[in-house]
Amino acid sequence: MAAADLNAIRATIEGRLATELASSPPLPVVFNNMPYEPTPNSSWVQCLTAFGANEYLGHGLTTSGYNRITGLTLINIFTPLGVGPGANLVIGKRIRDLYNRVIVSGVFFDAPVGPEALGSPSPEGYFQTQVRVAFEFIEEL
Amino acid sequence: MATIRGESGSVEFETGSGTLATVVGTRSWSLSITKETLDTTVHGNTFRQFVGSLVSGSGTVELVYDPDATGQAGLIEDIVKTGDAADASFELFTTGNTNGTDSVAFGGIITDMEITSTVGELVVATCSFITSGTITSNLE
Repeated sequence: MAAADLNAIRATIEGRLATELASSPPLPVVFNNMPYEPTPNSSWVQCLTAFGANEYLGHGLTTSGYNRITGLTLINIFTPLGVGPGANLVIGKRIRDLYNRVIVSGVFFDAPVGPEALGSPSPEGYFQTQVRVAFEFIEEL
Repeated sequence: MATIRGESGSVEFETGSGTLATVVGTRSWSLSITKETLDTTVHGNTFRQFVGSLVSGSGTVELVYDPDATGQAGLIEDIVKTGDAADASFELFTTGNTNGTDSVAFGGIITDMEITSTVGELVVATCSFITSGTITSNLE
């Protein structure tokens, strides 16, 4: 048992999405702190993972202890503007199915929220929805 | 003077054939020690009098269930031991795990085990015990 490797958790979450979106039909996906210039009228996905609260689960201080680490992955789905939501929701389903109550490498994913349409897309010029996936990891010291 | 936070506690247990060892994944423990009293009031007394009598204890140990965690199986499965000779040993620590320090030690019997699986929560097991024989308090 060892302290949680946050980068490994991030890689688990993002790797799952990258693998799915590399399959047919492939879609560009961009993660935190990566440059990307989207092609106008194209579809693409942005994935932002953030760690949140930590809490004690048991006795033991720095040895033999358990902590709960929670976090949230925000996935923004961008599709061309003015052609309806269908294409966006097809991508949303692919993404939702990836995480829906799945346990991967010790990362527990909740049932996702969304895809939820956003009134003010960022960047502008796209139809944007957002899928939010809460996750937790039990750290065993 | 220093207060102690609950997470610094720990539990050691052995089921009767080994040595005390930390149970990994404990979340809480409780111990209640009771001393019975004998009424020694006699004629002529105007106030009731007592002397202390037998001392006994009971309590619980709660676990975040992990089938691979060291010591959990021994504690949880002690409930199904038949003909239990009260040969299990406990040491409950308020802080650290130095035997004989900041702890209460005793022999006992697991009298109840409840394991709960609830959607959205971790699986938790709770073992209840009673003490048998001497209770050694090192809480000073």
